[in-house]
Amino acid sequence: MAQRVTGQRFRQRKLSTKQSLPVLRESEVDGLVDDEAQRHVPRVETGVEKAEETEHHLQAVISASAAAAVGGKVAQLYIPTPDVVQNEKQYDKLYPKAFKQPATYIRTSSTVEDGTGCPYTADHSDFVFLKVANQRNEKLKCTVDEFEILMNSFEETAASKQPYAAVSNAPVLSYDDVEAAMSDEVPEEARTFAKVVYEHWKSRRVANGNRSLSPSLKFETNVETDDADPYVCFRRREVRQTRKTRGRDAQATEKCNTLRWQLEQARDLMRKTVIKVQTDHKALLLERDVFLQRKAVREMRRTLNIKGDDDDLINQKPAQKPKPKAEPNMAQRGVPGLGVKTPLPRADGRPFDSDLLSLQDQKARKKESITSFIDDNLNKHQDWNKGYVDMTWRPITPPLEQSLKSTFRPAIVVALPTPPASEEGEPMDIDETTVGKRRRDSFDVQYETSRVPPWENPEKRPSFRRRTGRGGRVMIDRRGIQRDRDNANEFYAPRAYTSPSHKESKSLYPGQRALKRSFGDLEMYDRPTAKRQISDHDAHRTFDRFKYDRDSDEDEELYVIDPHSDSHMKYRVLMERSTSTLQLRRSQGGQPPGHHRSASGQHLIPPPA
Amino acid sequence: MAPREGSNEPSGTPVPLEKGFATLATLRTGVKAWVHKDGEYRKAEILAIQPKKGTNTYYVHYEEFNKRLDEWVRPDRIDLTREVEWPAPEKPDKKKTQGAPPKAQQPQSKSDAASKNQKKTLKRPRSSQGGTPEVLTDAGNSKSSRPSRASGKENKEVTILAPEITDLATPKVEDEEIDLVDVQDAAAAAKAAPPEEYSREEEIEKLRTSGSLTQNQTEISRVRNLEKIQMGKHEIEPWYFSPYPVEFAEEDMVYICEFCLGYYADVTQFERHREKCTLQHPPGNEIYRDDFVSFFEIDGRRQRTWCRNLCLLSKLFLDHKTLYYDVDPFLFYCMCIRSEHGCHFVGYFSKEKESAEGYNVACILTLPQYQRAGFGRLLIQFSYELSKREGKLGSPEKPLSDLGLLGYRAYWQETIVDLLMDGRTDANVEELGAITAMTTNDVLHTLQNLNMLRYSKNQHVIVLTDAVIEQRERQKEKEKLRGKRVIDPERLQWKPPVFTASSRTWNW
Ligand SMILES: [Zn+2]
Repeated sequence: MAQRVTGQRFRQRKLSTKQSLPVLRESEVDGLVDDEAQRHVPRVETGVEKAEETEHHLQAVISASAAAAVGGKVAQLYIPTPDVVQNEKQYDKLYPKAFKQPATYIRTSSTVEDGTGCPYTADHSDFVFLKVANQRNEKLKCTVDEFEILMNSFEETAASKQPYAAVSNAPVLSYDDVEAAMSDEVPEEARTFAKVVYEHWKSRRVANGNRSLSPSLKFETNVETDDADPYVCFRRREVRQTRKTRGRDAQATEKCNTLRWQLEQARDLMRKTVIKVQTDHKALLLERDVFLQRKAVREMRRTLNIKGDDDDLINQKPAQKPKPKAEPNMAQRGVPGLGVKTPLPRADGRPFDSDLLSLQDQKARKKESITSFIDDNLNKHQDWNKGYVDMTWRPITPPLEQSLKSTFRPAIVVALPTPPASEEGEPMDIDETTVGKRRRDSFDVQYETSRVPPWENPEKRPSFRRRTGRGGRVMIDRRGIQRDRDNANEFYAPRAYTSPSHKESKSLYPGQRALKRSFGDLEMYDRPTAKRQISDHDAHRTFDRFKYDRDSDEDEELYVIDPHSDSHMKYRVLMERSTSTLQLRRSQGGQPPGHHRSASGQHLIPPPA
Repeated sequence: MAPREGSNEPSGTPVPLEKGFATLATLRTGVKAWVHKDGEYRKAEILAIQPKKGTNTYYVHYEEFNKRLDEWVRPDRIDLTREVEWPAPEKPDKKKTQGAPPKAQQPQSKSDAASKNQKKTLKRPRSSQGGTPEVLTDAGNSKSSRPSRASGKENKEVTILAPEITDLATPKVEDEEIDLVDVQDAAAAAKAAPPEEYSREEEIEKLRTSGSLTQNQTEISRVRNLEKIQMGKHEIEPWYFSPYPVEFAEEDMVYICEFCLGYYADVTQFERHREKCTLQHPPGNEIYRDDFVSFFEIDGRRQRTWCRNLCLLSKLFLDHKTLYYDVDPFLFYCMCIRSEHGCHFVGYFSKEKESAEGYNVACILTLPQYQRAGFGRLLIQFSYELSKREGKLGSPEKPLSDLGLLGYRAYWQETIVDLLMDGRTDANVEELGAITAMTTNDVLHTLQNLNMLRYSKNQHVIVLTDAVIEQRERQKEKEKLRGKRVIDPERLQWKPPVFTASSRTWNW
């Protein structure tokens, strides 16, 4: 038991910095302080160097504040520091009241060098010299600024030519040396004083052991003794050693190469741009010349009253001539348009042709106006027919709209010997290449003539197609599929023709579906009633068509004969002429007179040009 | 090697001291004599002797006083009637590297860490170190024989104790539970362990790899080189050495331009510079502005000259700052007060662009002419506002200066106590840290320092002591009277800057 307690206590001594500790007032804590635990509250390091921690004044302040923390009243103590004396005598003279605080926070990146003028600053001895020199020379006064520029020039020359002058005991640079090195920054006026100022500079350099005149900090000179010299400061930090590996090297090389390549690309691009702009400029000048000369020609013609070929006054398309020249080896004459890249207007270097009227353009424009007229009429015609359905099967003139305006795309029929295995969940291939392009307004006019009569399906073999319907549904359309007899009968059975009303029987439904499927494009027949209509309608028409083809309707047996089927035609050809053939031919040739022949037939003739 | 802790008390020094009476003629550097200071005689070490107007003047460092109080004294302030301590004879170099640096990375595995570090130290080729540090130190201190090893002050120059402190203050607390016992043990062990001594090479190596600016430089010119600086409306006595041009050591006054922080020994030249200088504010973007102060963000890499000038200046007042390396990897957040003249630089803190240790401040300084006016608190608060914006916890880089410690403690206390007084009935250390962007360790430090973390009824509790509350109330009253200046995070227009690898590298 006792052991457990001590164990507990041991654990309790650990202070968790994450654990919430109760915050209490002194009165809320029982006076009994756990001595043993208290003993374990450590003294945290002050962070002051050990040797200084014991310093008299610091200790005095610390103990004073410690006393205050325990409740003692102690006067505030300060650590004594050396004196500071206020002296404002010169202040306003030295520091002008020129500061205007901007409304926004100050932002600047200019440096001390930017803000302090010439690096050389004249001192007392310089001013004395200047005064004397200027007194001697009445006319020309050397300003302090000029003086400083000269001195700075000398100092900089010395620093660059004799970097170790102080150590090597080199003689002070000669006047010729410093004059030769004088930069453009030294203004002309200042140069007139160069010789005088040089003498002053030389004497000061000599007096200073040929060291820099302005006192400077000691930077490292890589001499062994540097380390011991407390004056040497602001050494360069060494580059942090990065571990060198082959991979890193390769990476760096790669980067450098890429960078170089990119820079070269950029440079090349710039170069080419310059060339292009220059060429453009030349072209413009030429263009202008041509224009002016044409203008001259025209005026000349007018004055001389010459009439004739005006073609040379407008830009002729240089036509095909320059092209083969440009790429003579590439363009094989036999394959035009393949080797010759489309004759861009700028390929021939004359990009501004388009602004001018060319004969070719004019011709093209005329042609365009004709086609647009045709198109307009076409559209008009379509508008007339809006909402009407052309019920004709095999019109004399098939409506052209379809081929022109592809309201109905020709179904891409893919013949498959067997229906494709459908895998669940697998997206199906779509046979149509132009899926979903159908426009909403494409059903304004339905030309049933696009269809052949149901029994005339030219597709003898069963065929399928897959396509996407509305909302991305994938549909399979079947055609020419072998149905079981019942279904087939519903369509083609003679029964249908004798009594179309029978079609209302429910057994018809699968056939309807098949029909709907095979003309799935016609979404307007979506509703069941519509479906029935179409089948009734078809049946009726079929019946109607054969109405008078029979001699009597006593015979209950009806044989569906397609007089135009290949076999029949062959047979007829073999049988030479027979009356029935004649009859049939007549009935085919003379379409019913009331037949809604597409009005387009008359309108599709292009207007005379 | 003697434990350093003891070495601060003369009585505890195990190495027998050579004592005796000296005359002005026998006084030399390294001698510890009794020097009159502020109405009393204090033991002080002579660091330099310089003839002045016929007699020698002595540059002395008072024991247990901060180096900033070191000064030149005339011989009449030295009490030669009392015995002086003679500097101990040279020690063999071996000693320098003997100590095992107790880099207790994880308090839990302190012994492991210690032994590992020892091995590491031993592995280093002796040949490269042997003797060199000593020679180098001598070079910087050529007039004197090597000062006594027994003295804590001397050792300080070649010692970095930061690692053990750093580790405890490292923001990343991997274990959610800190075993207080172990922490204490580790601390005790660290104290008991022989002081680690970093050879110059090791130290520079550390600088190279850590990027820190505040590490103590082994080679410290222990004598202040500038007599006085003139800056803006103030003449200021520098506190420490700063590597301004060598020639400046002979000048009575160095003039510093308030805006570009350029330095001139010749007053005429300085005046001429003021004619040319067009800067009116630190050369960077203003990221904060209220009706009292503005903050500018300066990139050390982009504004090398200005930042170097700033570092030179601040080194005059920061003992542990080093200018060994350049300013590139740092951002400088500079606080200014505005007037018709421009934005007057008041103080700053630097921050590593990427701190591996999670520090949010490298160096922090309020210029002496603006001290004791609450600017330090604003700087500290601002550094934490940046950390909050970054979504990180931050802590200042160690070692802290004495003034830095006091400033931070005051800010931490105020922040934590205010949070705890908002009526909450419980709090956990990490949550307090998350709200304030303070590290868990700094929160713990604060609570323990204020005696607020107690163990009662078998659990730890946070106690808002009467004294702490009373102290805070008094402070609040003062704030009411004087008006309290705080940073308004709303006015901070800042996104944590992102640096490409190339701009972060330490070379040019
Ligand atoms: Zn300036």
